[in-house]
Amino acid sequence: MRLPAPAPVLLSMVTLFAAPGRALAHASDRGFVLLLPTGHYIVGGALAVAASFVALAFLKPDALARLWTARLPLFRIRFDPRFATSALSLLSLVVLVAAGVAGSRDPLSNPLPLTVWTLFWVGLTLASGVVGNLFRLLDPWYALVRAMGGRAAREVPDLANLSYLPAIVQFAAFAWFELVYPAPDDPYRLALVVAAYWSINLVAMLVVGHARWTATGECFSVFFRIVSQLSIVETVRAADGFRLSLCMPGAKLSSAAPLPLSGVVFVLTSLASVSFDGLMRTFWWLDRIGVNPLEFPGRSDVMAANSAGLMLAVVALTAAFFGLVWLGEKISGAPAGFRRAAGLLVWSIAPIALAYHFAHYLTALLVNGQYALVALSDPFSRGWNLFGAAHLHVAAGVVMGPDSAWALWNLQAGAIVAGHVLAVIVAHAFAARLYPDRQAILRSQIPLTILMIGYTVFGLWLLSTPTGA
Amino acid sequence: MSDASSTINFLRKSVSRRSALKGLAATSAVMAGPGFVRYSQAQSSAPIKIGFQAHRTGIGASYGRWYERTTAAAVKAINGAGGINGRPIEIITEDDGTDAKRGPEVVEKFANQHKTDIVYGTLFSHVVIASAPAAGELKIPYYVVSEGHHVASTKLNRYVFQPGITDVKSQIQSTAPWIAANAGKKVTQIFPDFAFGHDHRDYLPPALKAQGADVIAQIAIPPTETSFTKYFPQIPADTDVIYHVMVGPAVLTFVKELGEFFGANRPQLFGFIDSLEAVDINSPGLEFLDGSHFWEGSPRYAQADDTEAQKAYRAAVGIDDNGASVDDAKDVSTAAHMFGCWETLYVIKQAMEACSYAGPQDRAKLVEATEALTQFPEGPEHPQGAKTFNGKIHQCFGSQNISRVEGGKLKVVHRTTIEDGLYEPEGDYTTQPL
Repeated sequence: MRLPAPAPVLLSMVTLFAAPGRALAHASDRGFVLLLPTGHYIVGGALAVAASFVALAFLKPDALARLWTARLPLFRIRFDPRFATSALSLLSLVVLVAAGVAGSRDPLSNPLPLTVWTLFWVGLTLASGVVGNLFRLLDPWYALVRAMGGRAAREVPDLANLSYLPAIVQFAAFAWFELVYPAPDDPYRLALVVAAYWSINLVAMLVVGHARWTATGECFSVFFRIVSQLSIVETVRAADGFRLSLCMPGAKLSSAAPLPLSGVVFVLTSLASVSFDGLMRTFWWLDRIGVNPLEFPGRSDVMAANSAGLMLAVVALTAAFFGLVWLGEKISGAPAGFRRAAGLLVWSIAPIALAYHFAHYLTALLVNGQYALVALSDPFSRGWNLFGAAHLHVAAGVVMGPDSAWALWNLQAGAIVAGHVLAVIVAHAFAARLYPDRQAILRSQIPLTILMIGYTVFGLWLLSTPTGA
Repeated sequence: MSDASSTINFLRKSVSRRSALKGLAATSAVMAGPGFVRYSQAQSSAPIKIGFQAHRTGIGASYGRWYERTTAAAVKAINGAGGINGRPIEIITEDDGTDAKRGPEVVEKFANQHKTDIVYGTLFSHVVIASAPAAGELKIPYYVVSEGHHVASTKLNRYVFQPGITDVKSQIQSTAPWIAANAGKKVTQIFPDFAFGHDHRDYLPPALKAQGADVIAQIAIPPTETSFTKYFPQIPADTDVIYHVMVGPAVLTFVKELGEFFGANRPQLFGFIDSLEAVDINSPGLEFLDGSHFWEGSPRYAQADDTEAQKAYRAAVGIDDNGASVDDAKDVSTAAHMFGCWETLYVIKQAMEACSYAGPQDRAKLVEATEALTQFPEGPEHPQGAKTFNGKIHQCFGSQNISRVEGGKLKVVHRTTIEDGLYEPEGDYTTQPL
């Protein structure tokens, strides 16, 4: 069953993220969920997503457009803080990597794994989905590349002509490290991986330019840019600085350009990896790979199976998406071109990915977020108390017991359903851009809507089925 | 990488439970450079380094959190009272991910990189079994808190000890006299169909037989099963007692369905609290358990007749009268097992003091000194109760608690004797070379 690391090269390229928190979600928490009427939620969720499709059929095509153009101005920022925030981010990264090497060996006391997996991968993703692309500010390369006089070009490259392949490879390696590698939380090993990841991307930025590499090469720049398209805060560059305004969720997508096919694959890879993160813990999957779910032997024993599973998840979702878009084109009666259709409609996957992220990592965020506060107050375990949280009692009970299980389940289920409803709306809006008349729009959306309904059911099932790893 | 040469001296400085553990893992890479002489002070003040093989991530993490808290509390108590031979304990935590393959890597790291004096604290059997050979080869004493029968079976090696918690064979056997005398003579077992359940399947029938009772049916449930009603018709109608040891996320469903199947007219129920460790007994669906009985290693709920030592232990670890964290009433502890960390650390202290342990060169002496131990009297060091220790099989024996669910709490109704849990040794580690 054991396989060597599928690609050590990939591993060394990869950085960051995720497991301690979910480990904390011990068996009994899911036990309470098993007692909830989750079957009703699954049926209800599927109906809600189907109903949203039907409702859209009765809306005028431009109704959404009008809603999405609404803006509520907030305030103006006179200068771009990016250089300063990037420099600060780099400094923090150096300290965290140093802590990974020299700090506590305990992944729940060392700030590096907690920052990477909980604050960055979970927290920053959710925050970016709400307020916008925070990673643009926290990018730990920008200030350095500019200071080095590198091509920290300000010009925005033509995204349509660039391949996302480097970002796909890096993200896949990241996902493998997070989900399959036996010790992604080990502070020392994580420090090496983060340092390698940062270095490789720095070199790439010095060679091809910062703007170009962050556009399609460095996977988190890409990932956060996509996620932030859903945020309800819009930042527009103006002559007098940056103007911020509130908008509807997904409204920023109305001006989104189609992604090239490689960009489509990137988005699908990110959703597939989070989906597989849920799937690989279920009794169902463990049974498939011949592991007793009540006696999980540890990650080392399932590396080959889960490497294959992760790859399969990406392939399956990609095939399903492309197949259904192709079918939609076929039955629309007025095909807009497969590449263009896939490149635009893939934006509807983004809200699903964000919803999965929230639902899947909620408990990890609630518990390991606390551990992170504690660890950051004393990053080197020297008895410091930088932020006053070094002696905070980590209240793991926040995710325990029947009441928490009920509340968390409702939040998770709500997010999954809302994410898919938004996905249907987004897909509809893009279909309105792709197809000439209402008939064609509706017909083209039938296959994708079936995917959305199926993914709603799948997402809710993942959160309610027994897990053992 | 992490030759932890800087440490907090517990004798001089009061620290929180958290920093007691984590502070010590701190490394000073700078100080470890050439020319730096470790422990330049007197040797006697250098800490005893204990490598804590912890389940911080993976399936053992919820148990691991309480093992960590108990360990921190015990270390604080020991260091507050002068440490071991006047030296403070330093805990270095390494996460094994509850992963059998990482287990021996962690042991190797403790021996060669951190250069800890011993390795301690492992819970999950598969990690213990995988790590034991590494401890034997590296000749580093390995004190586990696992409850498995693997140490006592003498199938591991001379460097592996389980002196702070009884093994499952002894636990099961101990409950038989009470079951036969109080619950009934005809017992039906329901257990998950894998190693954990098989221990109960194999050890209970002969123990009951010796008490004049019988296992009349054994119902093995596939581990992936999540609905159980279809198995209940297999329970013979003349069953006096259902002995159940289901584990995993579907336990609550199991209890609920059992309740729906039997209603008010149920046989006696006897279970192991492992099924509901760290789960609030007052949870919805568990009402059916009212009046049923459970084995507990150490009682979760404070008892009217708790000893002073038990009270002090609970306060030190930070659990309230309901066995939950004093800081977080929803965070129910793994009380039935975690006391083993506390008691094991005191056994280590006792053995190190007995052989005037000075450093890694004395590891073999420490093994012999541990083997020479025979009695652990009840008291602050052994709050769960008195124990005997069999140096030939490296296993302690103690009393078990049988508790009744009453008004949403577990009330101890019987304490077994140490003799109830004794069995014929299956081998002798002391014949192995050191």
